[in-house]
Amino acid sequence: MSATLEDSLAILGQEVPLGLVDKALKELWGHDEVRTRASLMNFAIYSEDPASITPNTRLLEEITSEHACRGLLLLALPGGEPHARAWITAHCQLHDGHKSVCSEQISFVLEGGTMNQVRNIVFAHLDSDLPLVCWWQGDLSANFSERFYSVMDMLFIDSSSWKNPAHDFAVLAGALEQSTARFRVYDLSWLRSHLFRTALASCFSNATALEELRHLQFVEITHSKGHRLAGLLIAAWIGVRLKCKLEASDGIKLVTPEGQSISVTLSESGEGEALQRIELRSANASLSVSRDCGAAYVCTTVQIGDHRHDQMLPADPVTDAAVISEQLSRLGGQSLYLQMVPMLRGMLR
Amino acid sequence: MSELENPFQETLIQRHRADSCTVVIFGATGDLTHRKLIPALYNLAAGGDLPQQFKVVGFARREKTDDEFRAELEESNKKNSRQGHDATLWASFSQNIDYHRSEFQDLAGYQSLKLLLEEFDKERGVPANRLFYLASAPEFFDQIMLMLRQSGLNEGVGGKWARVVCEKPFGKDLATARHLNEVVNATFHEKDTYRIDHYLGKETAQNIMVLRFANLMFEPNWNSRYIDHVQITCAENLGMEGGRGAYYDTAGALRDMVQNHLFQLLSLVAMEPPTDLSADSVRDEKVKVIRALRRYQGVDEVAKNIVRAQYIAGSVDGVERVGYRQEDRVNPKSMTECYVALRLFVNTWRWQGVPFYMRVGKQLPKKATEISVHFKYPPQAPFPTTLQRGTRNVLVIRIQPDEGISLRMLSKLPGVQLLLQPVKMDFRYSTSFGKASPEAYERLLLDAMAGDATLFARRDEVENAWSFIDEIEHAWHNDGPQPPMNEYPAGSWGPKEADDLLAADGRVWRRL
Ligand SMILES: NC(=O)c1ccc[n+]([C@@H]2O[C@H](COP(=O)([O-])OP(=O)(O)OC[C@H]3O[C@@H](n4cnc5c(N)ncnc54)[C@H](OP(=O)(O)O)[C@@H]3O)[C@@H](O)[C@H]2O)c1
Repeated sequence: MSATLEDSLAILGQEVPLGLVDKALKELWGHDEVRTRASLMNFAIYSEDPASITPNTRLLEEITSEHACRGLLLLALPGGEPHARAWITAHCQLHDGHKSVCSEQISFVLEGGTMNQVRNIVFAHLDSDLPLVCWWQGDLSANFSERFYSVMDMLFIDSSSWKNPAHDFAVLAGALEQSTARFRVYDLSWLRSHLFRTALASCFSNATALEELRHLQFVEITHSKGHRLAGLLIAAWIGVRLKCKLEASDGIKLVTPEGQSISVTLSESGEGEALQRIELRSANASLSVSRDCGAAYVCTTVQIGDHRHDQMLPADPVTDAAVISEQLSRLGGQSLYLQMVPMLRGMLR
Repeated sequence: MSELENPFQETLIQRHRADSCTVVIFGATGDLTHRKLIPALYNLAAGGDLPQQFKVVGFARREKTDDEFRAELEESNKKNSRQGHDATLWASFSQNIDYHRSEFQDLAGYQSLKLLLEEFDKERGVPANRLFYLASAPEFFDQIMLMLRQSGLNEGVGGKWARVVCEKPFGKDLATARHLNEVVNATFHEKDTYRIDHYLGKETAQNIMVLRFANLMFEPNWNSRYIDHVQITCAENLGMEGGRGAYYDTAGALRDMVQNHLFQLLSLVAMEPPTDLSADSVRDEKVKVIRALRRYQGVDEVAKNIVRAQYIAGSVDGVERVGYRQEDRVNPKSMTECYVALRLFVNTWRWQGVPFYMRVGKQLPKKATEISVHFKYPPQAPFPTTLQRGTRNVLVIRIQPDEGISLRMLSKLPGVQLLLQPVKMDFRYSTSFGKASPEAYERLLLDAMAGDATLFARRDEVENAWSFIDEIEHAWHNDGPQPPMNEYPAGSWGPKEADDLLAADGRVWRRL
């Protein structure tokens, strides 16, 4: 274990022998009158990045402020002799100004060893009867195995962090085909655009705007540097929602069931939020959503013939923890994502 | 394509989607608009839940400009908004608020309102739906309805809907409620009429159906075979502060709380499972409960089953309080009750013989609204301490504050002896779900815009409730001998007679 990693372990709280985690947790709560333990789920973060310990502990702290859970932090470091260490700590929030409500965090650093060991350690420390939500950070490595995902109820991934999206989407699709896979999957790269998409939908809240959809010719998507995947997700969403087929061509071309051809262009501009602007155009109309009105809002502009209407709507949360928190409060909504994945994979080819 | 076919709206998961509309608030300079309605709309806007091209028009009689009106609303929004106030978002939201000066009685004012709404539609390029919110005193309802009809504003334009939301109180007895219903229904279809009962907008009230019908373990025991009795308490630790006495003294606890809020809670607890969650299926079942209430006719029956009272001087939270008749704007000889306790029976197969005790009052020791379901003793009692007081299973649904559910059960006390001790399993919203619930008005406004009337009272619910209440009021206020008006010191849990009501059945009020 590197010295930097060793230094970052302090944030994990009290180190305890692996076999005594439960006992140590009981002691943590046993004598405490003013603190209440609360839990609605098991929330595990899996990472293979040694630098992730501090940011992930902060993330868990943020998530537990809205969703009481048993937090499990798993750092798997391949190579070397198998060696496992464990720590416990608690994240507390004040309620009504006096009573403290706390979520516990158990952290594991697992060097060497196999995924079976990782899985067994996770199994042994779940809060019983509560669902297991797992945030798998980074690529879907060989450790993303059936033995592990078959116990998950919800899986968070971030496809924009994948080095090889075509490969990882294939792994994900393969996993979802397994009869033992019962998890719902949420892609942060997709969730980050929820309110952006809501804003686009609100542009079509009347019949005149809807009518223009039949004549749609261009979709222009601007994304920030390194976020082409977020742009592709939006393109695939529009394609699927309009029941289009993806046509082989130089760029991306969608064809509606009525035979109308829509050309999709993606361009990269600047830093910041993944999605910067979407514009849908026909000969007579332009409907757009953009970030031209500051960080906290998106603005929509609907121009149909001579009529123009502008509106401001709240923007999506920016931090990963806030996006996950939002989704945990929202539940549902994944069938649409799964419907989109085949078209997205087509676009990646 | 119709509005329902917006292909992109599918991302709006499990949320009610409001249709594009203009909300006209009658009585927009009043307290309700400032404290509840505008903050609720603002919070909906902050959550992205308002439709595109949404507009608000405030209708009242004082002279003021749009900007003055917006500035006043901004000040009150800063104080009352649940999620705080953001100047930029407010600026964008308030652009869509206009003020329209007119008297409720003035037809010309409605005609100019119509022109204003048409102008908005022109700006939008398409006609929008219209929601008329009556936030005025109920004596104006007639006039406003008549004017809406005469100006043709009650008709949706271009296939769009026109709906009306009515505030409480909806009538003061059966005759006035019927009259109001006739006036409202002469102007709007029943399906477009939304009678607010803000208790139904509360998360915990909605959770009663979830608790009962989404969990298998409660419903099989939810009947006279296993339930001994049910208690519903709505306690307030305030009196007639802020001039409230003027209105309250004309209403009283029975009309102000029982006819609407407490009967809604009773319906949710006692109803049969609805066949589906449509507004009418749910309300069909709820109204059956009110229709099945055993009626009390005549002074004796009322006196035997219902206790009314007023508080006399006392202290709440260490602060001295005057008696009800000494309160500001209350008649010193008032015969209005500020406390009522009722023993009710729901005459259905399920609830045969199970009393529902209800109590509601002002100047009680604390603020709490709760429903408690008291189970029977086990049929056989092999353990020494069962059958003692405080050992039955009790399921408590806390509506406010400290929303949650708790279950009391018996457990063995650790030790060599076989001693039993009641223990409590507790679920609290605040600690389980970190998130704050939306305000009742947010949910209700959104539902009205989205066309979901489940959480609003239907005409027959209101009229059946009044018909029950009327009989009690008649007995209380008839010219002959009347049931007594009892007394309790402010800060106590009500009159002794309310305790006697339960003691006569061998029961006691739950300790809160
Ligand atoms: N306040 C609450 O928390 C609350 C809670 C539940 C239910 N409610 C119900 O909501 C309703 C309104 O309550 P509130 O407290 O907001 O009342 P309020 O403060 O007295 O406001 C009354 C409103 O009506 C307007 N108005 C009165 N006479 C008018 C006329 N002839 N022409 C035009 N406008 C007229 C007033 O306008 P001007 O200012 O221009 O005179 C004002 O905007 C009542 O039915 C009440 O029972 C209120």
